[in-house]
Amino acid sequence: MARRCESQARHRRGAAVLTLSAVCATILGASAWAQSNGQPASPPMPAPFSHDCQAGTTATASDSPLPNVAAALAKHKKIKILAIGASASAGRGARHGGYTGEARQILRQAIKGLDVEMINRGISGELATQAAARIKNEVALLEPDMVLWQVGTNDALAYVPIEDLKATVVDTLTWLKEHKIDTVLVGLQYIDRMEQDEHYRKVRDMLRDVAAKENVLIVRRYEAQRLLSQAAVSGGGLFPDEFQRTEAGYTCLAQYMARAITLGIFGPGGLGPRSAPPAIGPQPQQPPSAPPTRM
Amino acid sequence: MVRQANAVDFWRGLALVFIFINHIPGIYYGRFTHANYSLSDSADLFVFLAGWALRLMVGTPERRQSTWYLVLRLGGRAITLYAAQILITMIALAVLAGCAILLDNPLLLEWHNAAAVFHDPVTTHVGLALITHQLGYFDILPLYVVLMLMAPIIAIIDRYIPQALLPISLLFYLATLLIPIPFRTWPVEGLWFFNPLAWQLIFVLGFVMAREDGLGGFVRRHIVPIRWISVPIVLAGVAFMLSGWWPDPTKFPRPRLLFLIDKTYDTPPRLIQFLALIALMSATYPYILRASKMLVNFLSMLGRNSLYVFCVGSILSLAGQIVRHIYQGNLLIDTAVVISGIAIMALTAWLPEWREDVRVRRGTAAAQPS
Repeated sequence: MARRCESQARHRRGAAVLTLSAVCATILGASAWAQSNGQPASPPMPAPFSHDCQAGTTATASDSPLPNVAAALAKHKKIKILAIGASASAGRGARHGGYTGEARQILRQAIKGLDVEMINRGISGELATQAAARIKNEVALLEPDMVLWQVGTNDALAYVPIEDLKATVVDTLTWLKEHKIDTVLVGLQYIDRMEQDEHYRKVRDMLRDVAAKENVLIVRRYEAQRLLSQAAVSGGGLFPDEFQRTEAGYTCLAQYMARAITLGIFGPGGLGPRSAPPAIGPQPQQPPSAPPTRM
Repeated sequence: MVRQANAVDFWRGLALVFIFINHIPGIYYGRFTHANYSLSDSADLFVFLAGWALRLMVGTPERRQSTWYLVLRLGGRAITLYAAQILITMIALAVLAGCAILLDNPLLLEWHNAAAVFHDPVTTHVGLALITHQLGYFDILPLYVVLMLMAPIIAIIDRYIPQALLPISLLFYLATLLIPIPFRTWPVEGLWFFNPLAWQLIFVLGFVMAREDGLGGFVRRHIVPIRWISVPIVLAGVAFMLSGWWPDPTKFPRPRLLFLIDKTYDTPPRLIQFLALIALMSATYPYILRASKMLVNFLSMLGRNSLYVFCVGSILSLAGQIVRHIYQGNLLIDTAVVISGIAIMALTAWLPEWREDVRVRRGTAAAQPS
């Protein structure tokens, strides 16, 4: 009992540190999005990650642009984001929208004057093929500027053949591009146990490859979470327990996502200068072909 | 006394088996359910037959129950369904949590919308009690609870102004699609997987068509031409499902919900295809009965005990998903999951009937002079 209380207290301390860090990071990192004649004077700096979400040398998001979101923003429009995926609202504070709600808050603080509407339409347990059909319907009904698609987890758990999943994802990304809707993919999360599952790793790699080939932004939380896990094993980190780490991972995911969207809007191809995008860390390391050895 | 096998119980039993299989995504045998060849699926059949069963509860005009008795009886049924939903949800959460611990895999805690229960338990437990937080694949009973709460109103309108029931139902359905009127989940943002204001139409259609007069009588009198009209509709549905061709949903005129194939709102293309499908399939029952009385008896037994079987089937589907995950889903495992699942569902249906049989026999023996 005492152990459980201690664990909960540690958990709460960790959560408080994460939240505080995220808010501080946002206040420090966000510069005013000064608007004159409808154009931002200078792109805002993306909010740095909180202490426990700093994924070392691993990039957490690719730097593909979000031209349609940028165009919507330039017209002073509200940005409408459709969140689809199994755990779109997971994370702390379900009533505040889970991690997508946290990302919305960080974005609003980072980009002054930005009006973000996040619409959650996650259906639990559905496979990518069902989500793909629903994405088209929801796009027709809601007309979003961007789709945030957390994809692959259920298919990996249900052992859907990789080629079938790939075809579904590619078809859907193509359809969204044709309809001038930007997409941000949210990749698989790191779980120690699943690292030994070959199919799970193949799904992770396939999503990365598809995102690169289709020039679609992907939030690469897998690498970041793996580093957190390795830090915990070697005695560091705020969340030594994997269950707590998985939960805390959603706070990090919200930060990764907010940063990815900021860079997607203000990076090259978006509203930002035609120069190198703001640094989000070195290029991602190549995924290991075999499960990493525990440190 | 257990009632004889009949078409309604038979189709209900079949719907229960298909729901069990379809709730295990990726399973090999999923391809043999009609959901792969039809715009509608077992959920439509289940709700339609629930409306049909409501007619049996309400009784015929000749055998009327008092209004107050009827309201209390239907309210009691809604409470039973609510209790069943809470029970199976709690068991499902325990299964997910237990397997997450045993397999050392926190990913299972996030399956099927369970994440909020574990990550934000204080608020989410309120949502669970209000049935505004629903686990994935545990979302039909909440719809059924709301429909049973509407049932007294449906029964009263049917008793005093029967000709107004279907127009009122249709009006609510169209308003829900045209405005549209969403049914929101809480605390997790989202929509109910089945919008009760849209799905009440199919429930009312089942209720109305079970009646020998009115629309039910009209359909019975004209079933042959209706079946001829149904053939191209059902074939078009099969063609769509096999080819994947459907006009781009963004090209439809507004209000687009009228043209989309959407399960949440049970949109018109889906509803029309379902009605055509049951018009056609109802013709096959006598042939199935002739071909395999055993099959009809078996599925009718499941259908007679639908609530028990549905509850156990829901838990079995979840267990089936976990077993498939552990053994990396292959044909052998899928076969074992389906056979053992249907066997347990059959045992679930058989037990209350056996208990009832024993009770009747004991009563009969006690009544006989020694």
